[in-house]
Amino acid sequence: MAFREMISEYRRPLLGALSVVGLMLVWEYAFTYVLPLDPFFFTKPSLIAAAFKEQVLSGALWHDVAISSKAFLWGFSLAVIVGIPVGVFMGWRRRAEYILDLFLTALYASPLVALAPLFIIIFGVGLTGKVALIFLLAVFPFVFNVFAGVKCTDRLLVNVVQAFGGKEKDIYFKVILPSTLPYIVAGARIAIGRGIVGILVAEFYAASEGIGFAISRFGDTYRLPEMFAAILLLMIVAVIFTEGLRKLETLLAPWKIGQEAR
Amino acid sequence: MTALASFYREREQPILGAGFIFLLILAWQSLPAIISLPRGLSLFFTTPVEVVKAFYRLVVANEIQSHVYVSGVEFVVGLALAIVAGLPLGLIMGRSKTLDAMLDPFVTAFNATPRLVFLPLLMLWLGIGIWSKIAIVFVGAVFPLLINTYEGVKNVDRVLVNVVRSFGANEWQTMKIVVLPNSVPYIVAGLRLAIGRALLGVVVGEFFGASKGLGFMIASAATNYKVDVVFVGVTIFMSLSLILTHLVKRVESRLSRWRPDVVKTF
Repeated sequence: MAFREMISEYRRPLLGALSVVGLMLVWEYAFTYVLPLDPFFFTKPSLIAAAFKEQVLSGALWHDVAISSKAFLWGFSLAVIVGIPVGVFMGWRRRAEYILDLFLTALYASPLVALAPLFIIIFGVGLTGKVALIFLLAVFPFVFNVFAGVKCTDRLLVNVVQAFGGKEKDIYFKVILPSTLPYIVAGARIAIGRGIVGILVAEFYAASEGIGFAISRFGDTYRLPEMFAAILLLMIVAVIFTEGLRKLETLLAPWKIGQEAR
Repeated sequence: MTALASFYREREQPILGAGFIFLLILAWQSLPAIISLPRGLSLFFTTPVEVVKAFYRLVVANEIQSHVYVSGVEFVVGLALAIVAGLPLGLIMGRSKTLDAMLDPFVTAFNATPRLVFLPLLMLWLGIGIWSKIAIVFVGAVFPLLINTYEGVKNVDRVLVNVVRSFGANEWQTMKIVVLPNSVPYIVAGLRLAIGRALLGVVVGEFFGASKGLGFMIASAATNYKVDVVFVGVTIFMSLSLILTHLVKRVESRLSRWRPDVVKTF
């Protein structure tokens, strides 16, 4: 009886795990016994696992990951440093909103990745070009989420600070920034996805190292298991970060917030 | 004077917004006249007038039409396939708890990952022709559609479903009468996100191993230092994306006036 209760309680995760494992088994079995495996066209889980183990343990992939992470951290930090003040300013000053909103919305809604080739030829294939592209893609979620957060700030709190003789600075740091925090987290979640897009495009386009370069190099040399392993690694990182931030978001603000990704 | 002042006050927002963009373009245009750019930078520099000229040149040469046509085909076919696959899957996942639980790990993982990572793989499988681009547009656009449809179905009013059920409706009729109309606003919101992803797929897909299309035009112009042509391509993409998202947004706000402002974001 207890067993049955346990099953019904954990039905969802059990079914999920079952379908993942099932798919892997079917995939593995099909290409081992039923269909001929063309190693230049497809691969199977056991080979991917072996490649994953080899690439991750040997540290070959870690070097690429470190290169990409460095670019990502720079671009992302710049996006935070620039995006949050701009968002606060836009949210708090009506005229600033009027002036900037149309322009920034147009940029946010358009596929700015199209500028990638230009960035690469201007800044070169090294770190700078990647950082610039990641910054450009990641800054807008911060701007618009902080903007929305400031707009939702409780006027009453602002009035209290003012009534007790608080200055403009106090309003920003004591009221606006704390109440905007959940929105910043929501922005960060969207910005991470866009930042990874920036890394991938820059490194697919022209690079000599980095995770995107590794994936496209494995593809060019038909090393499919290694390619799948690199993709898997990137997927794991992306899931950890976005789901982690989603958890943090619900922790900070159980109601639903955040601008949609565009 | 007061008439002018009140005119301004009523339309302050659009005037300031458009004025800022106009000023930026003006500053961009007059920058080389004010300061002399260093030689290294002038190679990468262009002005808005040059961009317009380049656009005119490309239109006259009948070059841009063919690029737009190829990109358009990739966009439309990829997005259509995404709708055809995403909507039914979202509906089914929303209605069946078992399938939801089984597919959820895959949907979460693929949705969190930028699907551009599969571009080299898709090019390896489908070649450098149009189909690898259609495929990347498809995988980019299908998840926003699927997840929003799912969310719409999940948010359906239980009472309405029960009413229809107790009057003897089967699953198909419940779907048609209650579930589908209720999820339309969510689906439209998903469509707006999907359009953005699809355009992203078109641009990036054509950067690599294409021989036609706007993305290819941008990439090859960049390697030849034709910066004005790069901006022609970028401007076309920007306008397309703005027009399409604006149109969908208008449909969205018409449909969802009554809806609380919660839609799954990612």
